[in-house]
Amino acid sequence: MSTAYRSALLVAPSLLIFSGLFIAPTLYFLLVSFWRFESYELIREFNLGNYGEVARDYVALGIYTLFIATIVSLSAVTLGFIYAYIARFKAGRFGSIMLFVALISLFGGYLMKVYAWRTILGTEGIINNALLGLGIVSEPVTWLLYNPPSVVLTLTNFLFPFAMLPIAASMRGIHDSELESARDLGAPFTAILFDHVIPRCKTGITTGFALCFLIACGDWVTPVLVGGRMTMLGNLIAAQFGEFLNWPLGAAMSFSLLATAFLVVLTFSQVMRVFDWR
Amino acid sequence: MIGRSHIWVGVAALFFIFLLLPLLLVVLFAFTNRALTNFPIDELSLRWWRAMLEHPQFAPSLRRSLTIGGGVALVSAVVGTAAAAGLARLPRRTATSLLAVLSLPMMLPPLVLAVSLATFYVSLGMQLNLFTVTASHILLTQPFVILVVYAQLRDFDIRILESARDLGASPLKAFATVTLPIIAPTVLGAALLAVAISFDDFVITFFTIGSGNTLPTLIWGMMRSSVTPMVNAIGTLILAVTIISTLLGLSLTRYRG
Repeated sequence: MSTAYRSALLVAPSLLIFSGLFIAPTLYFLLVSFWRFESYELIREFNLGNYGEVARDYVALGIYTLFIATIVSLSAVTLGFIYAYIARFKAGRFGSIMLFVALISLFGGYLMKVYAWRTILGTEGIINNALLGLGIVSEPVTWLLYNPPSVVLTLTNFLFPFAMLPIAASMRGIHDSELESARDLGAPFTAILFDHVIPRCKTGITTGFALCFLIACGDWVTPVLVGGRMTMLGNLIAAQFGEFLNWPLGAAMSFSLLATAFLVVLTFSQVMRVFDWR
Repeated sequence: MIGRSHIWVGVAALFFIFLLLPLLLVVLFAFTNRALTNFPIDELSLRWWRAMLEHPQFAPSLRRSLTIGGGVALVSAVVGTAAAAGLARLPRRTATSLLAVLSLPMMLPPLVLAVSLATFYVSLGMQLNLFTVTASHILLTQPFVILVVYAQLRDFDIRILESARDLGASPLKAFATVTLPIIAPTVLGAALLAVAISFDDFVITFFTIGSGNTLPTLIWGMMRSSVTPMVNAIGTLILAVTIISTLLGLSLTRYRG
């Protein structure tokens, strides 16, 4: 048996799962977005009606969703960069512990992290607890929770490791001596940062942004739990597979969201190219 | 200089609060004896843990979560190890690009992946049940297993294997007696990471399970109706399982990203 043949055989089950559960469903879902639903039945006739409906009724919501996702991803990437920088260049041996803590928080606690912010920000939450206890306010502050900023804060908290870990990975390639020699030659901190560290982390920053953005733009749990009346496109997509039961419209919304999200990610990676010439 | 380094310590401390405080609060309030998740906590009690155990939905949900997690671990470990072994024989660039392709499902918003999978299963006439959830989770966990096991196999000294083959062992026997004992901790660790991902997953499970709850979908229902610290107790249980299996998984695989 040749090596290539044996390799193919070994990888085959994985590729089968991948094509059967990712390629096929995604292509089918794309087809569904061109069909329509009538009295609980899928009518398999090609039409652009769903995309027309998205273009007519959901553009504003879509832009709003992308806007929120952009703020979240930029915050997560910025915080992630600072954290990774401290872990790599400032924390010494403690740095690996910092990375380890973030790595662990990558694998668990999605719902719990979102839910915890209600405990922190709510009228009965610990911030109000403290403010009332210290006598700073006499009535609980209600504007901390159930609004867009609380969604941004919660999502940034949840997505932080997704942004930080790729950046930390690309910082591993930078040697201390490179920064030291720049410093010895009299380069100020900002110059080292913008001319050296950020350009070297470009891949990590872009990857981190992409991961955060793609998760944030499709999130619907966070607005439900901490967003109050706030709605993102994800809430409406989820509803098409629940109470409204309109798969084709849900599919069209999903692909419109995906297409625009990829455009945003592409734009971001283009913007990052300003660091190329340095 | 001392002042400078203190600033970094301060900033790092703020980050730790930001990262860990939410989770610490969830755990802390699981042990309150009051009905509200805030301070003051009069005294620590197991009241809400008892309530959790007495909840009629708890045992079946836990059983479902464990069944799915076990199936995911087993299948993704076997399939993922096979794929990693296959990739290790390929040129590094080919292997890396194949790995990137297999990781594509992680680049899709989980919601989109979930609803497209659900639509697909239902259109095929499949019943949504634990099997469909398990299959969907495997799609997400197999890239992790492949990545981690491949990272070890890549650095594997192929000469050990060759000498086994020279001494007359069949490929299968050489794998079972030489390769497998060496990579077994890594495979086990990768399987534990798969368990953590599966046990914590809410979005994919919610859309592909049909009827019945797992622990995450159970607390999702509770969070939206009457919130008691029982949510914290179940949440703490989920956190404990995912964090312990992640810790064990990371230490067994010695994988650091």
